[in-house]
Amino acid sequence: MKKVELLAPAGDMEKLKIAYLYGADAVYCAGKSFGLRANAQNFTLEELKQAVKYAHRRHKRLYVTVNILFHEKELENLDAYLKALDKIFVDAIIASDILVIKRAKELGLKLEVHVSTQASILNSEAGLFYKSLGVTRLVLAREASLEDIRKIKEKTHLELECFIHGAMCTSFSGRCIMSNYCTLRDANRGGCAQICRWTFKNKSEKEIFSMTPKDLNLIEYIKELISIGVNSFKVEGRMRGIYYIATVINVYHTILDKISENTLSEGEIKYYLDILNRCANRDSTPQFVNGLPTEEEQYFLGRQELSNQDFLGLVLDYNEKNKMATIEHRNYFKKGDIVEFFGPHLEATTYEIGDIFDEDGHVLTISNHPKKIIKLKIDVKLEKYDMMRIKMFDKQDYL
Amino acid sequence: MKEKSFLIVVTEKDILKLKVKNINFLFPIKDFSVGFLNTYDIDTITIPNAYLYINRILDNKDIKKLEKILATLKPNIKGICFTDLGIINLAKKLKLSLELIYMQSHNTTNYVSVNYYLDYVDSLLVSTDITENEILSILDHAKKKLVVPYFSLIETMYSRRTLLKNYQKYFALPNKQEETLIEENSKKEFLAIENEYGTVLYAKKFIDYRFIEHENILYYFINPMHLKQKDVKRILEGKEIAVDKDTGFLHQETYYRLKEEEK
Repeated sequence: MKKVELLAPAGDMEKLKIAYLYGADAVYCAGKSFGLRANAQNFTLEELKQAVKYAHRRHKRLYVTVNILFHEKELENLDAYLKALDKIFVDAIIASDILVIKRAKELGLKLEVHVSTQASILNSEAGLFYKSLGVTRLVLAREASLEDIRKIKEKTHLELECFIHGAMCTSFSGRCIMSNYCTLRDANRGGCAQICRWTFKNKSEKEIFSMTPKDLNLIEYIKELISIGVNSFKVEGRMRGIYYIATVINVYHTILDKISENTLSEGEIKYYLDILNRCANRDSTPQFVNGLPTEEEQYFLGRQELSNQDFLGLVLDYNEKNKMATIEHRNYFKKGDIVEFFGPHLEATTYEIGDIFDEDGHVLTISNHPKKIIKLKIDVKLEKYDMMRIKMFDKQDYL
Repeated sequence: MKEKSFLIVVTEKDILKLKVKNINFLFPIKDFSVGFLNTYDIDTITIPNAYLYINRILDNKDIKKLEKILATLKPNIKGICFTDLGIINLAKKLKLSLELIYMQSHNTTNYVSVNYYLDYVDSLLVSTDITENEILSILDHAKKKLVVPYFSLIETMYSRRTLLKNYQKYFALPNKQEETLIEENSKKEFLAIENEYGTVLYAKKFIDYRFIEHENILYYFINPMHLKQKDVKRILEGKEIAVDKDTGFLHQETYYRLKEEEK
């Protein structure tokens, strides 16, 4: 089976490293300008340069989003920015404004141009239009059905990138200015205030409601998407933290491996689905891939937030001699709690919290200070960047 | 200054009775339009110089169906106003000699992008969410004549989801294709119009850009949703009508970095 790219989001350098480490083949991120997550930390040009080096040393790829819709005042610096991205060997830019696509070609840049999901491509003729502009990859609209994806691949022969996981827009991406209208924050230049997730009242009825879609999750369609010829599976979430990125990328990386080995069972799919939903604090559904979303694929009222206190600690070091793990605390835990460790090379491993030590070796009964460094004695060999979380699901129960 | 030419959406049949010079009618097309309660079978459009309004984002089945329709269009059809860029490719493939007017109301926000699009189309609608100065600059620099908003409700969201149907089903309410929704924080009102192809939300205040004049304007665009024919007539005569109005984004620049705004 052909190797498919797993493409992860990264809002800063730490998230980028975590994404690669946990199995992403490529990462997309934004510079300080022209990206649609203007309020993420994002990357300076120097950081992008370091990020490209980091990626290429590991034979991975790095894409930079240049996907805002430009207003006149932003035009001035675009060419210089595109040239700079090319000069530091960014693999591709992700663009939605025709201006960016055309300028990248006119400037003779070596980097690839991928057309963003903001372009809402749902048919092969639209794909062919963008192909005529010189793009090498289409990031399809999240509204695309399996049949649409298949037809677009057949007719365009372009690389296709599909979102497989993460938050959804209520509207077609790029076709909403609710944020602009209600708050003056420009949705198409990275300032979206997510008005669709706020509450609305119907003038002729008493009900208050929101239009919040559940998240996207195509875990059950991965095999089919591979057989159609999708080249890249994209995870949404440049504003998300390292735990989310690690969990989601780890799950999809594992699933892709299991699919290529033909060992993925239905039970495992259910297990991974529970992990993903828990991690995102939201339910997820296949959305448009198998039909039009109904009222079941939307939150109208009082969405029940699941706990997001699952991430307990980040492993900073492990001493094989004394079996002591140095851990940066994230959320409350105490002696006797049942937790699990997971990592890029470590399948979820159950552990009962024993004595907790501070850096000076004093015994603590609880750990409740974020970022505090603590130590735990653990027999299982851990690695830096492994993570500790509350144990919620036991894989054995699903098999 | 030459006389103004108008492009008016036929939101109801009465609009066709308007007797005004330089008026062109734009028909929302059955199965290919969203955001309108009335759509038209192409076969029923018999007036000369009619424009087809195909404002849906199309999937592969739609585009195949459209290809057949476009291949046999009657000569009274002057042009197509469209959102989906696949139509450019389709028109080229079919060697259509129709006017192509690109109407995606949010992504024609600067004159360079506008000129790139104009390499492929005859004209386009200038974005509805930019300032007056930005509109004028686009008009100054555009290499072809453009369509500008004149008096309309502006589209603020286009979703493939049937948001009203889902909402009505969830709360066990009667099915309606049109509702007024109020956002609770800002108290802004939106008109939601839905058909099986999706939901369009319009800001429920009319933008009045009638004062914008420029030699590089092909058409002044009017979407008379929620207006009576007599109101449209008054608008075309430059008279006032009693509706909620707004200057839209003409004098309000949007921003996108919170920190910058807080400075």
